[in-house]
Amino acid sequence: MAGVLHALYKKGRDQWLFQLRDSEPGTVTLTMRRVFIVPTRAGMMFAVLLLVMLVGALNYNLGLGFALTFFAGACAVADMVLTARNLALLQLAPGRAPPVFAGEEAQFDLYLRNRSRRDRYAVWLGFQADGEPRQAVDVVAGGDSAVSLSAPARQRGWLVAPRVRLVTRFPLGLFKAWSYWQPDARVLVYPAPEWPAVALPSSGAASEDGHGTVGLDNFAGIRPYQAGDPMRHLAWRQIARHDPALGGQLVTKHFEGGAVAELALDFAALPLQMDLEQKLSRMTGWVMEAEQRALPYRFRLAQHDYGPAHGEAHRAACLQALALFGLDGQR
Amino acid sequence: MSSARLALRLTRDKSDTLLLLAASLMVLAPHFAHLPLWISALACATLLWRAAITWLGKRMPPTWLLVPIAVAAMAGVYRSYHTLLGREVGVAMLVLLLAFKLLEMHARRDLFVVTFLSFFVLLTNFLYSQSMPTALWTVLTLLVLLTAQQSFQYTSLVPTLAHRLRITLKVGALAAPLALLLFVAFPRIQGPLWGLPGDANSARSGLNDSMAPGTLSSLAQSDDIAFRVRFAGAVPAQQQLYWRSIVLGDYDGRTWTRVPRKRGLQRLEVAIHARGAPVRYETTMEPSNTRWLALLELAAPDLSVPGFRLRDSDEMEQFTTEPVTHRVRYDAAAYLDYTLQAGESPQRMMHWLELPAGFNPRTLALAQRLRAATPADAPVQQLSNAVLTRFRTQDYRYTLEPPLTGANAVDDFLFTTRAGFCEHYAGAYVVLMRAMGVPARVVTGYQGGERNPVDGYLTVRQSDAHAWAEIWSQQGGWQRVDPTAAVAPERVERNLARALPRPAPFGLAPLLDLQNNPDSWLAQLRFAYAALNNSWNQWVLDYNPDRQRSFLEELSSMFGHWRTALGAVLVAVLLAVLRWQRARRPVDALEALYAAFCRQQLRHGYGRAPSEGPRSYAARLRTMPASTEKHAAMEQFLHLYGMLKYGAGGTESRSASLATLTTLLPLCR
Repeated sequence: MAGVLHALYKKGRDQWLFQLRDSEPGTVTLTMRRVFIVPTRAGMMFAVLLLVMLVGALNYNLGLGFALTFFAGACAVADMVLTARNLALLQLAPGRAPPVFAGEEAQFDLYLRNRSRRDRYAVWLGFQADGEPRQAVDVVAGGDSAVSLSAPARQRGWLVAPRVRLVTRFPLGLFKAWSYWQPDARVLVYPAPEWPAVALPSSGAASEDGHGTVGLDNFAGIRPYQAGDPMRHLAWRQIARHDPALGGQLVTKHFEGGAVAELALDFAALPLQMDLEQKLSRMTGWVMEAEQRALPYRFRLAQHDYGPAHGEAHRAACLQALALFGLDGQR
Repeated sequence: MSSARLALRLTRDKSDTLLLLAASLMVLAPHFAHLPLWISALACATLLWRAAITWLGKRMPPTWLLVPIAVAAMAGVYRSYHTLLGREVGVAMLVLLLAFKLLEMHARRDLFVVTFLSFFVLLTNFLYSQSMPTALWTVLTLLVLLTAQQSFQYTSLVPTLAHRLRITLKVGALAAPLALLLFVAFPRIQGPLWGLPGDANSARSGLNDSMAPGTLSSLAQSDDIAFRVRFAGAVPAQQQLYWRSIVLGDYDGRTWTRVPRKRGLQRLEVAIHARGAPVRYETTMEPSNTRWLALLELAAPDLSVPGFRLRDSDEMEQFTTEPVTHRVRYDAAAYLDYTLQAGESPQRMMHWLELPAGFNPRTLALAQRLRAATPADAPVQQLSNAVLTRFRTQDYRYTLEPPLTGANAVDDFLFTTRAGFCEHYAGAYVVLMRAMGVPARVVTGYQGGERNPVDGYLTVRQSDAHAWAEIWSQQGGWQRVDPTAAVAPERVERNLARALPRPAPFGLAPLLDLQNNPDSWLAQLRFAYAALNNSWNQWVLDYNPDRQRSFLEELSSMFGHWRTALGAVLVAVLLAVLRWQRARRPVDALEALYAAFCRQQLRHGYGRAPSEGPRSYAARLRTMPASTEKHAAMEQFLHLYGMLKYGAGGTESRSASLATLTTLLPLCR
């Protein structure tokens, strides 16, 4: 019974009072209705002080004492208004959220836009779940500010940005105004690469063709540098002889065999006894390894069959497939 | 964090702390005027120490060092005041506490403790002074204090000090109307809520119920205000302004005291014949810490002082049952032309003839001679005139610094020193009259007052304290005689300040003349300031329950006037109709937004022509001088409106578009 009541209370508080809502697309404006305010501990102390001052002024019949007390009280009220206005009508927009590997921290870029004619100082931001916000930002009148909040990415798949809490105590610190915002942002979390890394599948189709291992041992000369060539394949000796600044050009060592031999990363070829996440981790590690060595690779996972290729786009497609494998409804 | 930013942050903490120190110094400074020297010095030293720590970036002193210092300071306070209770001691300890707290400030919480303590110390300063300069200083201090408090709230971006002061001013400007409303309307209770500590009303001067040589002349050096008076009609002539306070009848050869009231004695029937209409006036009396009132002679009997019960005596004195410890305001009336106790049987006046035996033999002999020189059936005025003539013709001087007199004070004064203040003249006169068999008594009170031409208030100061005499005859009753007027008539005709030639140092006499000449600009300035000060007292310091009631009544009667009331009702009806009109308007949110947009632009002189559609309107608005953001917002607003209105359709839902329009609207302002 108590549990039900507590749940009802929480629901009422969050939905009716704090109006927590799902993410809203695009830019969100913090209307006055969404800004909440309570006195801080210092504010409560101040209230007690005012009472003491009032009693003192009464007891000693101090006309100026009354004036001081009432003015101080009115300053607190003004502070309340200004604190709420420090948040109100601030515009919020999500920014970039680059993919991360599971176990890393996901970074959410958030933008605060101030279209009003007054500066906003000392606005603290943080994810609601993290307790008191620890990042502060100022937004000058008519300006933008960016903040980056990080949240741990524990599982592969889409990580929706947690709810953001904005808090301010400016200007006098007697009141705390806060507001909630669910940014419309998510981060793709790739599976964590297997550690320690396992060597790339060496016995691929290439060895069956009799070309030996998929190797880089068949040096076939040099060719002009093309965008995307890995750094380690640059022919440093030749480059050093013809300084690029003096009209020389970058040259890349060219290997034979790599193009013919096909490196295939096939999910289905992994040992059966491995569990799903382990398999995904290994595939991820291989993709990274192949990318690092600039080996074109074929990628097979369920209905996905990419490549052979290498490069940023290929890598992203493969990792996305790995991240979302088996997670229905997430695209 | 780079080292450069670290250094920046440190300097910022430094400047914030120094600002707080400046605010604390401003809070403490007014208290130095009344605190023992060592406390002021200790507080200053503590502030300096803290400033040095901040400036040099040193560590704060450890607790084991601070605790003994604090304990020693408390012991010092006990040594200075011989108590740890009471108002003065409390203020001293608060001052020390604030200074020490600055040395023990680590967390943000401590910052609030310091500022809140400062607020309270500011309040305690009003126990000592509530003048306009004090108020001005308090306002300045508050500005710095609030700016310091605000400075600690910033995170990375910190505006300049001037900008922060502006923000504080904004807070103050927002607060001022509310503070004023609270001040006027907050229900006032007449304090105190509980018994005041014994020293609450110390250091007040005023008339006493005894008079020895030197009593009044010491009072005459005091510039303190005794009371202020506003007459309902014309101000009576200066020679008629005798403010009666205490009647002294018992004389022991040196000191005049009141005639003690004997227990169980029947009150006399005092016969008063008043002629003419009474003069009505309102008195604002400064706290005197005594029970005596000073009333214009002769006070009408229907007197009431709010908050006090009154007593009166056969000698036409009026006094309260409790000492007056706060400023009171009361209405009174006086009959300038009266006869008091005429036709009384002489037997009942016998005790106004008593003189102590063995004192002042030469005076008694003089009285015998004067009596012998006058016919036995001559009126008492003739005897009185003989004495006054002696004062006038025999080289008597009027001075604030009379020479000391011996055991036979009146003898010494009359025959040796011949220099005295009103108390000497009044005392000697009464002794002489009694010695000649005329019932006589000394009356003390105030004479005159300074009229401020700016606001019409008459200010009576302690320096206007005066003593005069009354003599009795069966035909005339008690009659006022002012022996001082015989010696220094200007004392009565004008006022004391001009009656006494004051020594002017460094050849500043012309300046003093300037001040005393009521038409000079300096005097005008002085009067204007005094008038301002008086309204300050009347409206700020002394806004008590009565004044509040009368002010609010005045306000309500102003609104009670039928024309004002009608106007207010009309305005209210108009507002209601406007509201109703607004509520009646079609509730189409889109049209409302568009109308609001058009109204906004109309204010810039770009109202929408009735024939203009959103597209042509947008084209015209592009020619408006405004920021790029505004142009972008207007463009987007009109585009979105056109799409919604004419069904071109968009990617967003209608409600989302409306929300966008709502957010765009303020940007188009």
